[in-house]
Amino acid sequence: MLSIKNLHARIGEKEILRGINLEIKAGEVHAIMGPNGSGKSTLASVLAGREDYEVTDGSVDFLGKDLLELAPEERAAEGVFLAFQYPVEIPGVSTTNFMKSAVNEIRKYRGEEPLDAVQFLKMFKEKMAYVNIDQSLLSRSLNEGFSGGEKKRNEIFQMAVLDPKLAILDETDSGLDIDALRIVAEGVNKLKSPTNATIVVTHYQRLLDYIVPDFVHVLYKGRIVKSGTKELALELEEKGYDWIISALVD
Amino acid sequence: MATDTLVSISLGKEKQAAMDRFLAKGFPTNKWEEWKYASLKSLNDIDWNWNSSEIPANTIKTSIDASLHVQTLNGKFIALGTLPTGVEILEFSVFAQQNPAFIAQWEKRNQILDQNSMYDLNDALTTSHQVIWVKAGVTLDKPIVHQLLAEVSIASAIQSKLLIYIEKDARITWVDDLHTNASSEAILSNYVQEIWVEESAHLTFVKTQDFALKTTHIDHTFIYQQSNSQVDMFTFSINGGFVRNNLHFYVDGENVLSNLNGLYVPGNNEFIDSHSVVDHRKPNCESNELYKGVLLGNSTGVFNGKIFVRPDAQKTNAFQSCKNVLASDKATMNTKPQLEIWADDVKCSHGTTTGQLSDEALFYMRSRGISQDAAKTLLMLAFVQQVIDKVEIADLKESISNRVVAKMEQALSA
Repeated sequence: MLSIKNLHARIGEKEILRGINLEIKAGEVHAIMGPNGSGKSTLASVLAGREDYEVTDGSVDFLGKDLLELAPEERAAEGVFLAFQYPVEIPGVSTTNFMKSAVNEIRKYRGEEPLDAVQFLKMFKEKMAYVNIDQSLLSRSLNEGFSGGEKKRNEIFQMAVLDPKLAILDETDSGLDIDALRIVAEGVNKLKSPTNATIVVTHYQRLLDYIVPDFVHVLYKGRIVKSGTKELALELEEKGYDWIISALVD
Repeated sequence: MATDTLVSISLGKEKQAAMDRFLAKGFPTNKWEEWKYASLKSLNDIDWNWNSSEIPANTIKTSIDASLHVQTLNGKFIALGTLPTGVEILEFSVFAQQNPAFIAQWEKRNQILDQNSMYDLNDALTTSHQVIWVKAGVTLDKPIVHQLLAEVSIASAIQSKLLIYIEKDARITWVDDLHTNASSEAILSNYVQEIWVEESAHLTFVKTQDFALKTTHIDHTFIYQQSNSQVDMFTFSINGGFVRNNLHFYVDGENVLSNLNGLYVPGNNEFIDSHSVVDHRKPNCESNELYKGVLLGNSTGVFNGKIFVRPDAQKTNAFQSCKNVLASDKATMNTKPQLEIWADDVKCSHGTTTGQLSDEALFYMRSRGISQDAAKTLLMLAFVQQVIDKVEIADLKESISNRVVAKMEQALSA
């Protein structure tokens, strides 16, 4: 589904990704871990198309398309979804209006008829159940004054509505208490299918108790320095990152 | 000079006095502090026709469900259909004869007219001065819709003038829908509207401005409020080559509430200037001013908000906020709040901001599949929605919202 080859990216003069290689197949869950500043969030942002980063080398193939050539909205329409670490507050736009615009723009891109109000109502009701989110929250200005947990649940609600092929969860566990974490993780698990894939970017192993990865990758200084199965995450939790880093010949 | 042709116009004594006041000052220039950003000097270069031709009734229609529909077509006032009970429309001189007590008060109304030669020009040249008279206790469930239209085949200066007199305990909504038709000829639309709001009366006033690029529109909306009255004012400036709004509130009674809401979305080559005065002359009153602007293309906007709190006006609450978004690198916004406070026991605040659309918000929206232009429109509309949402008439609110969105989309696709 996703094939990243030798990806290099920088912000300003600072090179942050320095040759990422990663293959993801449909049905898989990959966890990207690593110490602060290793480039985890940059990788998530570059995949979603954030323009602050300049890709200097490498390629990203997503379902046969050159992902790096596409605008952020085109990537979304092709099926990429980024759950933000810090969801943006947008005063004056409700989640429902935001999602109606998004869904119908994506349908337009795909040459499909727009949904009407009745169809939206039905769909939203169904998707709200995934993350146990309340209608009143969806009618409020997007993320404005939301608690950390509400923001993250709202992200997963949006993910449920857009039904992406590739979901990238950027530090979705940050700022969540254990109950909120469980609700968010359950939502992600319910959305998992043999035809979609998930990238979980996280600093801590904690989230991976709930969203169990097929593969774990350790990112350090802009490269994947170790890959393994879910047991690697447990080992990292126990021993930290130093044992991997010190074994590297830089 | 264009004004040379004014000298030869034969006028009655009072009108000649107004003309002399105008001629002594001429068109405002940017040397005048109040017109710093809004010089009308270039009007001198146009050979104005001072008597505009007539345009037939029914040239424009309204989609708003109204209790009364009135129009000013090239300065000529007409009422369409029958008047609702409790509403009269009279020529000012006739009205004055019937209401000597009111006129005695009216003549002492004491507007702030320094640096306002355009009011004098209107006074001198206007041929129609109608009074819309709403009797005591009358409540109209549906608005009175007034449409002003100017349409010319040669460069024309058009004067329009109205007085709205709302008696005690009356309650009305006035929709002021202003247009000029696009033409290759210049239009100077000089509009004076004075509204007297008696004790415990309530006026909702929704002004929409939709002018052609070659139009210069000078708007004087002067509102005189008596005790316990409330006015909810809205000014939506959607299109216009050069628009100068002079909105004055004279608070002449106690326990008065004045709400001033404004929204302007100038586009390429457009200039919209919102000058407001709230003159608190009596104690225990409140004014709330909320203006928002989205400046598109290479447009220029001005906000100048004056609040006077006179020595007698103790316990005044006066608040002012003006927030702007520059939607383009070429747009300019000039803001100037001016508070003059002579009373000591008052609460006043003001704040102006001018910013840009958040890149972070745009990326967030695009990452959900919303195109860049649609995301910008959504953000700009969200920014101004607060003002539009205060309009209570559903079809009017929708019409304003649609016009604002169309303006934004047009600017983005340009």
